[in-house]
Amino acid sequence: MKNRMGYLLTGIFFGFVLSRTGASDYNYIYWMFSGVDLKLALLMGTAIVVGAIGMMILKALGNKDIHGQEIEINRKPLNRNTVIGGMLFGVGWAVSGACPGTVLAQIGEGKILGLFTFLGMVFGTYLYALMAEKNPEL
Amino acid sequence: MKYLFVDLWPWWLGGIAIGVLVPLMYYFLNTALGVSTGYGNFVKIIMPASKLRWLNSNPYKDKYNWRFVFILGMIVGGFLSARSSGMPWLSDSMGIFTDTLKWSLVPNILWFFAGGTLLGLGARLANGCTSGHSIHGLATLQKSSLVATVFFLIFGVLTTYWIRVFLFGGA
Repeated sequence: MKNRMGYLLTGIFFGFVLSRTGASDYNYIYWMFSGVDLKLALLMGTAIVVGAIGMMILKALGNKDIHGQEIEINRKPLNRNTVIGGMLFGVGWAVSGACPGTVLAQIGEGKILGLFTFLGMVFGTYLYALMAEKNPEL
Repeated sequence: MKYLFVDLWPWWLGGIAIGVLVPLMYYFLNTALGVSTGYGNFVKIIMPASKLRWLNSNPYKDKYNWRFVFILGMIVGGFLSARSSGMPWLSDSMGIFTDTLKWSLVPNILWFFAGGTLLGLGARLANGCTSGHSIHGLATLQKSSLVATVFFLIFGVLTTYWIRVFLFGGA
């Protein structure tokens, strides 16, 4: 596999940043959702704006990657399941105080309960695989 | 150095550091930032012989592909941050939650496992999580990411309200 080192380093950077900003801290998630401290909401907003500007620059430069290949944006479908999945995810986010990215940083930090959030996520993904077996739309 | 490795980063610095990952990952790796799809790799690692159609779909042909490597990297990143800032090596605390409720280990495990299950199932149904939808998807101006993110936030707020009133006793 090409770029294995690139993905590893990007992952290390991402996990490090999530942990250093407090995104992997239960309290900051709780404070964001209860409106006490919107630090993580501001962080996400900044990330979206910075990401959007970066993508505009890439587009202006011809929408090519470093090897000259056309960049293909991963387009996500919009349907009923976007809403249902969004609701379940929102509840899970508040219950566990983590999301699929920050829980990995929690595990690295040595938070034992984060490991169970992770295992729950693997189990939830398996439930999806079971549902997809009976529902060809998924 | 203390500013980056010990103190918590301000929101704008974290936002910039995460935001630049979206164009940088497209430019250097030609892939979309996203984490939750990689959880399928772990399902497949646990049950490699499963015949389930979805587990044998394209993203999971190689269960040790880039998503797996990326996830391992994120765990290492959290570890490095904890070491540099002096967090305990192991902790059974989950901030306000464990401080307020003082449940024993088993109910805590069940609670966080249940939350994880909702996250895992929800992310697959919605086709993405906080990074794939809310950061990458909104930065690439996708309608489905806006819908998903709005529901993530609404249900996060409602659930937290419920937790605060009914579990924490309004604290």
